[in-house]
Amino acid sequence: MPHYTELNIGPVHPSIHGIFNFKLILNEEIIQDVKVTLGFLHRNAEKLSELNLYADNIIFFDRMNYIDAMNMELGYLMSVEKLTGIEPPERAQWIRMIMVELNRLAARLVGMGSLGLDLGMLTPFFHTFKEREKIQRIFTEASGGRQEVNYFSVGGVYQDLTEQMINDIKNFLPQFKKNLEDMYNMFIHSEIFWQRNRGIGIIEPEMALDYGVTGPALRASGIPYDVRKDAPYLFYDRVNFDIPISHEKDNFGRFMVKVEEMRQSIRIIEQCLDKITDGPFFNPQGKKSLMLRIKGNGEAFSRVESDAGEFAVYVNGNNTTKPNRVHARSPGLRNLSLLPVISKGLMIADFIAVVGGLDPVVGEVDR
Amino acid sequence: MNLLFKLHQWFSFLGNYASFGIAYLIETIVVLLFVTISFIILIYVFRKYMARIQLRIGPNRVGKFGLLQLMADALKLLGKESILPKGRDNMAYRIAPIITMMSIMVSFIIIPYGGLYYFGNLTTTNSDITLILMFGILSIMPIGEVLGGISTRSNYAILGALRGIAKDVSFEVPMLISVLAIVMVSSRSFVTGGSTYNSLSLAGIVTNEVIPYGIIEPLGLIVFFISMVARASYSPFDLSESDSELISGATTEYGGMRFGLFYIGLFGMVYLGSFLVSLLYLGGYNGPVSSQLGFIYLLVKTIILVLIAFLIWVSLPRMRIDRFVQFGWKYLLPLAVINLIYAGVFVLYIR
Repeated sequence: MPHYTELNIGPVHPSIHGIFNFKLILNEEIIQDVKVTLGFLHRNAEKLSELNLYADNIIFFDRMNYIDAMNMELGYLMSVEKLTGIEPPERAQWIRMIMVELNRLAARLVGMGSLGLDLGMLTPFFHTFKEREKIQRIFTEASGGRQEVNYFSVGGVYQDLTEQMINDIKNFLPQFKKNLEDMYNMFIHSEIFWQRNRGIGIIEPEMALDYGVTGPALRASGIPYDVRKDAPYLFYDRVNFDIPISHEKDNFGRFMVKVEEMRQSIRIIEQCLDKITDGPFFNPQGKKSLMLRIKGNGEAFSRVESDAGEFAVYVNGNNTTKPNRVHARSPGLRNLSLLPVISKGLMIADFIAVVGGLDPVVGEVDR
Repeated sequence: MNLLFKLHQWFSFLGNYASFGIAYLIETIVVLLFVTISFIILIYVFRKYMARIQLRIGPNRVGKFGLLQLMADALKLLGKESILPKGRDNMAYRIAPIITMMSIMVSFIIIPYGGLYYFGNLTTTNSDITLILMFGILSIMPIGEVLGGISTRSNYAILGALRGIAKDVSFEVPMLISVLAIVMVSSRSFVTGGSTYNSLSLAGIVTNEVIPYGIIEPLGLIVFFISMVARASYSPFDLSESDSELISGATTEYGGMRFGLFYIGLFGMVYLGSFLVSLLYLGGYNGPVSSQLGFIYLLVKTIILVLIAFLIWVSLPRMRIDRFVQFGWKYLLPLAVINLIYAGVFVLYIR
């Protein structure tokens, strides 16, 4: 009879991005089974949203995927705007698009750096975080917040992008392109990085569809599904960009898809900066004095492509200033639910790499 | 003139044996002091160097340019409460860091440091078998790590110790085979230009090393350097630590200065490994121009190797344990054997 060891990974562990608990059942180093315990960061965001005004709930969504806060806000606000009929003006839409893509870059940088950290390479982490810091400086200029930005508001954005901020972004992009390639080379020119990532955590396309996996994990399985392309929101139908896919199906494919999407994000931002129009940056119906009186009736559903995958928000209102029911579809949870299946037979080191490649953010998984 | 004999003469009023003993003691202390001081500088350089590569600043608060940072860290570690895990094997738990530390210190006494002007030859131990002694001590070192891992009964530590053992087993054989090739080559007078000292002592090998053996057998140099990286167990071969998987691997349950001793063992091994590579493969204290500055030659070579080691440390991800074992047995061992055969052919047929 084989002898099994139980090994706890988490809730506090150097390479868990947030607080999960994985109980690994090990046969020497080979994983026989994984038991995932979630909920350490459950903050009741959905219920809290029912107790607060429409405009106040943005902060709970900021704190869901805290490294991709703009996308979370956008997902919620698109629902609320559908519900209340307060449409953001064109300039606000462009600003939102720029910010969302910048934040996607920032979130991908975190994912990239921490994947390196999980594999035991410390250096790229600092390089990616330096670039992320530059993006966060732009956010600070715009909103006053580095990470939990609280920048979008119902029917627009909190503050207009000044000429200087647009220049900042324009200056940021060319050097970021170069630095991104440097960081990418730092990973890709290492034979050990290939060894550690290829052929582990294989997600078959059918399996991915069964479990509702979205985002880079799905695209790395060869299915070109991206909400930005398949159900365009904002002005994603007015810009050119490609959806990268990989047929590797493994951790390496996921990494490559993420990097390629960063390049596409830069393309999108550049086009946005060219096409941005003048005009009001918020809808007068959603101005600050009226914010507390926003009422919604009926139900609305919206979805956005966040860092981890398809993030969707359902809002149900009964003609009061507070929503009746708010529900968020967490892509991280779906991606994570696959983990026990794909990590059977892997070694501990591979398991850590797979978690780093899926890059779940606990704030969003637990909500 | 040997420094040891100089000291011996100075203390000759004590009688033959007592003066020799005192001379030996003083020289050991001098060598260990030198090692400690250079070691502190080494860690400072490592931290600054690593910080530069990682776009950070590094230590700059304690003392001028942060030079006293290591002192502050050591004091902090000494001041920590010594937490002993429950259910430990007490003796093994306490003795493990000391084994690691002591084996490193003893190894430094054996190294032939070469000559330095007035002081003469700084070598402390003039034995005929220092090569064997050195690698004997190097194989004691992992015992500390293994004992530390299994004595605490923490799953992380046990897994770390298991990885450490698997790692040691897979690289030590190629390491010793590549050293064997050195012994073969260094015993032939046509390689060494006439001088055939005892080729089982480090000093003898280096004296014979008129042409650096790294030029004669580059394959051996590669195998031995990789083995030294694995011996010191830093990235990419930090398998027994595996900080992102096993918290801190074999040393997970250690705290305070006990952990500090393991850490010193790691850095000391980087330093010692560089010394050994420069002694065995790069000519040691022989330089391009023969002079009284052998010690400086050795130090410069060692420091360059240490910087290369640091560069490897900060830039590569960790290898998976099964990959490393495969690497050891499928690549390193055949390479080492090819190197050995090559050395044999070289010694027998090339004149």
